[in-house]
Amino acid sequence: MQKNKKLLIAGVGGQGIVYLTNIIAEAALISEIDVSISEIHGLSQRGGIVTAGIGFGKNCTGFIKNAGVDFLIGLEPLETQRCLQYLHKKSCVVFGNYRIMPYSVNAQMAEYPDVLKFSEYLKKNCKKVYFIEKFPETIEAVNYNIYLLGIATLQPDFPLKAEKIEIAIKNLIEGKRKEKTLDIFRMSIDNFVEKSKSI
Amino acid sequence: MLNRTINIISSYPNQLKTCVMGNEAIVRAAVEAGVNGVFSYPGTPSTEISEIFDHIYNFQHKAEYQMQYPEITTNKIYFEYSINEKIAMEKAIAYSIGNKSAMCVMKNVGMNVASDPLMSVTYQTIGGPLVVIVCDDPGCHSSSNEQDSRYWGPMANVPVFNPSTPSEAYKMVKQAFELSELIKLPVIVRTTTRVSHTRSTVHYGEINEKNRNANFERLPEHINIPARTATAHTRLLNKLNSDVINKLFRKNIVEHFNCKTAKIAIVTSGVATSYAQEIISDLKLENDVCLFEIGLIFPFPEKEIVEILKDKFTKLLILEELDPFIENQLRNIIQKNNLKINVKGKGFSTILPTGEFSLEIISKAIIEFAEIKSHENENLPIENYNDFLNQLPPRPPALCSGCPHRATFYLLKLAIPREQSELIMCGDIGCFGLGALPPLKMMDTINHMGMSISMAQGLYESFHDSDKDKKVVALLGDGTFFHSGLTSLVNAVYTRANILVIIFDNRTIGMTGQQDNPGSSHIPKYKEIDIPPVLKGLGIEVVEVINPYNIRESYEKVEKAINHKGVSVIVSKAPCIYLPEFKVGVNTKRVIKVDPEKCNTCANHDDVSITCSRCYTPKNNLSRAKSKIMAKNHIQGEAQLCPANICNHGFFNSILEGSYKEAVEIVRDKMLFARTCGDVCHRPCELFSEKNNFIPIKLLKKSVSAIDDNFYDFTEPIKRAKNAQSKNKCVAIIGAGPAGLSAAYDLVQQGYKISIFEKDNKVGGMITSAIPSFRMDKKGFEYEAMQLEKMGVEFIFNTKIGVDISFENIAENFDSTIISTGLPIAKKLDLVEDFIPERNRLSNLDFLKNFNEGTCQLKPNSSILVIGGGNSAIDAARAAKKLDPQNKVVITCIETEKNMPAFAEEINHAILEGIEIINCSYVNNIEKLSNDRLKISLFNFDNKDKFNQDFICDYVITAIGQIGDSTVDFGTSIKVDENGKIINNNTKTKIKNVFVAGDICQGNNMSLIGAIASGKKAAVEVRKLLENYTFDYEGNLALKRLNNTNIPEFRTNNEIVGIDKTQLENYDLFQSCQKCNHCIDNFGCPAMVKVNGKVQIDLTRCTLCGLCIDVCPNNAISWVTEIENESSKQILI
Repeated sequence: MQKNKKLLIAGVGGQGIVYLTNIIAEAALISEIDVSISEIHGLSQRGGIVTAGIGFGKNCTGFIKNAGVDFLIGLEPLETQRCLQYLHKKSCVVFGNYRIMPYSVNAQMAEYPDVLKFSEYLKKNCKKVYFIEKFPETIEAVNYNIYLLGIATLQPDFPLKAEKIEIAIKNLIEGKRKEKTLDIFRMSIDNFVEKSKSI
Repeated sequence: MLNRTINIISSYPNQLKTCVMGNEAIVRAAVEAGVNGVFSYPGTPSTEISEIFDHIYNFQHKAEYQMQYPEITTNKIYFEYSINEKIAMEKAIAYSIGNKSAMCVMKNVGMNVASDPLMSVTYQTIGGPLVVIVCDDPGCHSSSNEQDSRYWGPMANVPVFNPSTPSEAYKMVKQAFELSELIKLPVIVRTTTRVSHTRSTVHYGEINEKNRNANFERLPEHINIPARTATAHTRLLNKLNSDVINKLFRKNIVEHFNCKTAKIAIVTSGVATSYAQEIISDLKLENDVCLFEIGLIFPFPEKEIVEILKDKFTKLLILEELDPFIENQLRNIIQKNNLKINVKGKGFSTILPTGEFSLEIISKAIIEFAEIKSHENENLPIENYNDFLNQLPPRPPALCSGCPHRATFYLLKLAIPREQSELIMCGDIGCFGLGALPPLKMMDTINHMGMSISMAQGLYESFHDSDKDKKVVALLGDGTFFHSGLTSLVNAVYTRANILVIIFDNRTIGMTGQQDNPGSSHIPKYKEIDIPPVLKGLGIEVVEVINPYNIRESYEKVEKAINHKGVSVIVSKAPCIYLPEFKVGVNTKRVIKVDPEKCNTCANHDDVSITCSRCYTPKNNLSRAKSKIMAKNHIQGEAQLCPANICNHGFFNSILEGSYKEAVEIVRDKMLFARTCGDVCHRPCELFSEKNNFIPIKLLKKSVSAIDDNFYDFTEPIKRAKNAQSKNKCVAIIGAGPAGLSAAYDLVQQGYKISIFEKDNKVGGMITSAIPSFRMDKKGFEYEAMQLEKMGVEFIFNTKIGVDISFENIAENFDSTIISTGLPIAKKLDLVEDFIPERNRLSNLDFLKNFNEGTCQLKPNSSILVIGGGNSAIDAARAAKKLDPQNKVVITCIETEKNMPAFAEEINHAILEGIEIINCSYVNNIEKLSNDRLKISLFNFDNKDKFNQDFICDYVITAIGQIGDSTVDFGTSIKVDENGKIINNNTKTKIKNVFVAGDICQGNNMSLIGAIASGKKAAVEVRKLLENYTFDYEGNLALKRLNNTNIPEFRTNNEIVGIDKTQLENYDLFQSCQKCNHCIDNFGCPAMVKVNGKVQIDLTRCTLCGLCIDVCPNNAISWVTEIENESSKQILI
């Protein structure tokens, strides 16, 4: 039996985190893996922080503890950085550079952290880090979540296989968006499958 | 959503494995249990339960789906968002009494509102089953307290289930329906955020299709009267002791891991179970610790627990979030049954009665409890992660972009300036509570739902009859108004409170995800109730409905409502951005853009290193923004430019804010003479504006510099000069008039060593000698000028060029030289020189110099003729009159009254003082009379009637202009014109390091401000020569305008007397300013992003409400009709 794994998704309200967890839950069901998801969305509609913890395996909750996350998908760099304490040395991090300025930064009360420096630090300290400095221009910001999920599935120990996620997308999404979502998911895998082999 | 709805109301004889949220599992369980009606008030973390029932209701009532899915639309489930939890509970009770299966849903604090009916119905009876879902919020993710709702069990004597996962919630809700039906009591199922919002596997089964017919039985229990209470209480307690419950106890104590050998056990309830399971499994303690979970926690399963624990365990750990609810009951049982068990609970390890549990807390507690010495943790935290976690910017939630609440708050910010106002603002629960946070900060209190109006009237009553009697403001949303605000408002009207109530009517319950409320029904199921008629029906006199996006119109209504004594109400009505009606009328073909040239840019300077004393504060910018909305006259900063480059925009706005010292400092950023310019400036900044619509800068300058404390404090400029980095260059300035002094002032602050050569024994030149003391404060001028000494400027007095020191000597020994010797010689009129004896004639300069020095010796009661139409002629005439009021003083000038170069106000003063002015006239003939008097013949060439006029006088004063001193030798390279003015090219002379400034500079306007400006301009030229300074003089535009203008055009009679702030508030002097940031500081729309110091609109977030266009005080934001570039939609930094 596969070892229990924990995945954390972090971002800002409106980035489609709950949407992503729906797909993951469906894929886990299809894969017959026990899954438990814990979402915290404090006022998510109003630009607050949203995180979702996902536990795969028996007796594995979606609750997250320090150094307890095996995979982190970061939809926003600052919120990715805020989850640092949950990572451990063998964690895999997939995060994008789509920045959403919090009010404190706009009002000059605080500085947005140096994302490149953070990315370098992560690369030195974690097993595997994908930092998407620039998303392909054809992808709209609302679909970055699917793109990052695609990259995560390339990890051999990621609990969900890409083909199961494809089935989940087909089951859950209707109409034109189904094909579009599948395209983005596949594009992400195509873009990174070679790279991940060569590394 | 459609698929999920169909899923949730379909029956699954062969089970359906699905992964759902706890709240969805609860819905499903209720559906399977055959619920007929659901009554709720939305509230996180319970909201999704109501939302799903709402979807089910809408699905089952749609004709299209009724055709398509007859089997799942026949048995309809009634659902309503009641106006509050009390009504929901009451209606659910009644629905059950009507023999239907009912459910009532709310969050923790909602139960407080609903508790009244619950506490008594238990003494009576219900009909069909009634299940109450209460969702607690340990950790307060979205609640105003973390109360423990399990206590409602013993308090109201109703059974309570406490599930730990979605699948348990599913099972327990089904049991709750069965139990309620059997014992005829409401049953509570209590969840917490982590149960309601966790998704995990649930198996859906078959739906109970039992048909219930509506029925009302006339039972004595339905009438609650005191005589029946005692028996009813006994009957109630017996229900809790029934066999049905005892049977459920066994089922609801679950032993996880099934270990047979352990001597220690953990007892849990609720989500703590899941934490414990994971930790026990992680630590591989499955065979060392037993784990018992109790699901039905009230009544407590005493007998069963004793059976489990007796003679088996020596030590217990109790894990439950919040209060020691189970712990206290367990300790009680253990003591009663004399069991020898050591109990650990609250206070053990890190187990506290506050906040949420976490894996860390439970892990630590279990390790301590099981006394594990060491355990390996294969996951090592990454190194130094704290370095990256420190000082991360927080991300508090904010009102959405385009939110009408922000619009209302912004309007209130303008209308009720918080810093100056003692108004107390009482807020309430809802999205708009975010208005308490920066940048809006418009609330002083937030309590529980509906408290705002009570808070306001209670506070009003506290202050009532004291000297602080005042209006108090209550703010609440439309949902809250109907929830519990309305009853409080009735009380306020009834008790004659003096409060203003502002209803933020965004036509929905926004906080929990846009549910309908009585004020805004979007479906025919509910009837909409219009708020204003309700208010008027209560007898409230001032009821104003405003559109918050229209700030100008709404402002007056807000003022009216504030000023009304008694209850006044403002309904700020505009839809939530998530409602379809928000988008009605939004033109999506255009977008909003910020002009970077106007945003956070200094309009006054390219060289931003120039000192700016304008204080940047959000409050200051708010007052600028207010003038944009409220002022009647909008004047662009460019219309009131100063040749000395003083930032009139900053100056005026400082005064508007009441920062008079700052205003003086802003003048002194550029020059010394705040008070002198207030007295005698030609005020070109005022006179070029259109239609005489201008701000009286000169008068304001006079007023602010008249405050001695501010005027005499020169600390800042002196500090600047002292702290300037030395350039190791020396500059000589010849002539200590305003031009030379101004050049010195600028250069000494740049670190130059300055020496000023002056032929007299004091500073000032023409200012000191030629302007009479009644027109300006001479001592003030001297004080201003002599600050230069403190700034490190060297003065060499009594030193005339060509006599005491040669010009060549200076030009060679200094790195640069500025000539600013002025025009000290009065022009002569041949007729006067030839025909009038010396004792009867004077030049204006000599006369005024004598006047100022007090050495005038005119005959008393004499007649004096002044020739000339400029300010100096008026000065001389007024001085002559002041010497002896009996003197007869007449001015002759060739100009018409309108074209006289003198200031209108000076002419008016002269006329008021009894001076006669004969316009369009000149001296035709002079005759010496025998009695030492003169007969002057004036020819008057006024178009209407030309005539000669004789005038007998004692003295003639000529005031027809000045020329340079031809005796000063500047050598051959410096060329002068016929008036002794030095020929130059933009202050540059033929000698590379010699510059010229002031009146002697050919082409420069003869005025104080002209002299100051040209001194500053020469200083810039010196810097360009000596330090590779690249900027041109930044006051050049205004200086050129001054120089190229004929003096008479300056004339105007328009003058505002005295500073009247209310009058000034009619003016808006706007220009872009680097110290702005107003939209971010005071408005804070999330679609506004700051990139490299400039605000940009993130079009992916912008909802096109357009309010920011009115917010920007610099007019930098505007509509753009076409999206110029698709890729510019997204801002990538």
